[in-house]
Amino acid sequence: MAVTLYWMQAGGCSGDSMSLLNANSPDLLEILQELDVDLLWHSSLSVANRTSQRALLERLQSGEQRLDVLCVEGAVIRGPGGTGMYDTLHGQAKKNLIWALAHKAKHVIAIGTCASHGGISARGDVEGTGLQYHGRKRGGFLGEDFVAGCGLPVVNLPGCPVHPSVVTQALSAVVHGATLDLDAWQAPTAWYGTTVHQGCTRNEYHEYRVEEREFGEKGCMFFHMGCNGPLVRGPCNKLLWNGRSSKTRVGVPCFGCTDPDFPKSFPFFQTRNIEGLPIDLPDGINRAHYLAYKGMAAAAAPERLKGRESNI
Amino acid sequence: MAVQTIEVPLNRVEGDLEIRVAVEDGRVVDAWSAGTQFRGFERMLVGRAPLDGLVITPRICGLCSTSHLYVASRALDQLAGVTPPPDAIRVRNIALLVENLQSDMRHAFLLFGADFVNAAYEGQPLYEEARRRYAPLAGSAAVAALRATRKILEIVAILGGQWPHSSFMVPGGVASAVGPIEFLQCRHVLARFRHYYETDVLGCALERIAELKSSADLDAWLDEAPAHRDSELGFYLRFARAAGFERMGKGHGNFVSGGSLDIPEGSAVQAQGGGRQLVPAGFLSSDGAGSVFDQREVAEHIAHSWFTGYEGGMHPSTGVTEPYATGAEGDRYSWAKAPRYAGQPAEVGPLAELLLAGHPLLQALVAEQQGPNVFVRHLARLLRAAAMLPAMETWLAELGKDAGGLVLHGVKMRDGEGIGLGAAARGMLGHWLRVEAGRISRYQVIPPTAWNGSPRDSGNVRGPWEQALCGTPVEDLDNPVAIGHVVRSFDPCLVCTVHALDAGNGKPHGRIRI
Repeated sequence: MAVTLYWMQAGGCSGDSMSLLNANSPDLLEILQELDVDLLWHSSLSVANRTSQRALLERLQSGEQRLDVLCVEGAVIRGPGGTGMYDTLHGQAKKNLIWALAHKAKHVIAIGTCASHGGISARGDVEGTGLQYHGRKRGGFLGEDFVAGCGLPVVNLPGCPVHPSVVTQALSAVVHGATLDLDAWQAPTAWYGTTVHQGCTRNEYHEYRVEEREFGEKGCMFFHMGCNGPLVRGPCNKLLWNGRSSKTRVGVPCFGCTDPDFPKSFPFFQTRNIEGLPIDLPDGINRAHYLAYKGMAAAAAPERLKGRESNI
Repeated sequence: MAVQTIEVPLNRVEGDLEIRVAVEDGRVVDAWSAGTQFRGFERMLVGRAPLDGLVITPRICGLCSTSHLYVASRALDQLAGVTPPPDAIRVRNIALLVENLQSDMRHAFLLFGADFVNAAYEGQPLYEEARRRYAPLAGSAAVAALRATRKILEIVAILGGQWPHSSFMVPGGVASAVGPIEFLQCRHVLARFRHYYETDVLGCALERIAELKSSADLDAWLDEAPAHRDSELGFYLRFARAAGFERMGKGHGNFVSGGSLDIPEGSAVQAQGGGRQLVPAGFLSSDGAGSVFDQREVAEHIAHSWFTGYEGGMHPSTGVTEPYATGAEGDRYSWAKAPRYAGQPAEVGPLAELLLAGHPLLQALVAEQQGPNVFVRHLARLLRAAAMLPAMETWLAELGKDAGGLVLHGVKMRDGEGIGLGAAARGMLGHWLRVEAGRISRYQVIPPTAWNGSPRDSGNVRGPWEQALCGTPVEDLDNPVAIGHVVRSFDPCLVCTVHALDAGNGKPHGRIRI
């Protein structure tokens, strides 16, 4: 029996969908075919048919049409004043529809940081929130106790955008009934159990604290340029982007777009520091030990790194 | 026959859009375009560090995030008073064009073309061929476009880390630590795109297309070889003729471009008339008169938008964004403001830009057909790659020869104003930025769809596609396929769904997606 999937675009930029079109091996068409997915609706891809979206939504809400997977891309928009009228469908607040479908679906997947935690859409005036988190606080739109039909809470796939292979692989796992271990933010450890830093080709510079201070240098961007690579989870340097590279490899700091607090309120392109030492350190690290270690590492830095001879 | 008002269900449009039209005697007599989502980005930037726009603004749009980055970095260049080195300009231009071209192909073959298999065309001679090519998620053109666009975007990843949503363009250049080996990889990727474009889309070499100067040339080209007739362009010409695209979607006939793609110093790429930009800035009025573009002539109206705070039009450097959600009551019906140039609505996009750049074929077609229409608007999108690929190839080949590097060091932000303009896939994109005491105090963005899909202005003048919809034939109220052609000829970046209401009793008349 085909797996039914409804892709709801809420308060967002469609970037996760656009990124999904770049999926490769399997690509989007292949994964839909191999998993026998019946894509009931996707606003940019939907197969034209004579049944309107509204009639489909009525059938979904009445239970006449089974819903196996609900993917929500973008934040739930609640403004102004809790009405949801900043984001409407057929003149009605879209948030009410998201609520209804989430309570019918067997699996609910939050696609991207906005759907997972509110993300950038939670920072403006639109009262955006994530499906089951608002930033770091559990609850969000659906509430702390929400579980989908399968017994699992919302599965969060954060990232701005989420990596396309994470989406195809997660769909595969859900359809095949593979167990997804979820971390403290309800994101599968399969893709969020590693830091963005892991796999960065600047790691040797990080190790010996050879720091980049200007754009375009070869060095580690953690100490001055605002890089969040060692601080946040994500597969950017494991799966790579567009099959080619990553921001940190190229020379753009990681802005921590998978983090529940993304986007942070302080400037993106500088590292918050005291006396040149970063305020935010990797999870679970003893500050005094870390600073002593980094001081020694800097002293031990080989000339080839100090002279930026090592390639990235 | 009484006027009936229907709300038109459009899917396959990014964002949230609802179109309402009044129909009398089988023709659209009035139209309203409503953006149904407010996102509030501009206020989000106030109080942040000047460079933060490089991270926030690309996230306005997942389709054209590189375009936002491009204009955001230009606004910061201006604020800092710097000109990036020639190779940085090349890298920025190439990345912007990659985004534009992939967007053109995705729009043409995943979104616009899917209307060719609309039930309204069932039984027509070209219907089966349309299905083979354009059936959503399965047609040969859709599958080939998905693969080709995914591939060409690798260039943005090689140069900037990822697509979408990188922030590699920075004041004074690009942050990318890339060199000759990366540039060569980009050339190979671009060569694959040229191969796809010439083989599948055109059915001939770019150079052959550049020779076409009139509709007679275009007709002769179509009959010249089976490869031409069987290409996507050939199919488009045949389908458009059968469906009457030349007679749909005329609109106001004004065009505007803010200019894009600076010619780097020492480049062999030449702009039309020796200009400084490959895409020239300018305004073309419906009477054929051209004028120099002056960004001070841009003003946004809110008389019919869900905003409040002023009357008439305001320049984006002084305008305010104060939401005022009245719902269905009164005159307000959209979350889009109504930008106007010198007080007039104007369409933006590849047709506007290529006309201003002196594209002989498009100029001839607009002249012969007395204004724009669905046919020529979409043709411009199909042919933009032919016009731009040679410049991209030249710039890629030139990279690494200039000693100026990819970024200036020691660029300091200062207080003041910066303006960034550029051509996103759908047309002119502008950022207006002010920094005070080291923080952003104002940030206004006018994206292309605000121009094309704008609601009425203070003078009650319709926006470009509202106007273009007037006169559109509607044979079946439940499936007004031509309305989809007209709106999609502008490449709307919004999502529409539909229900049809009988104006008399307000009861649902029927619904369908087109």
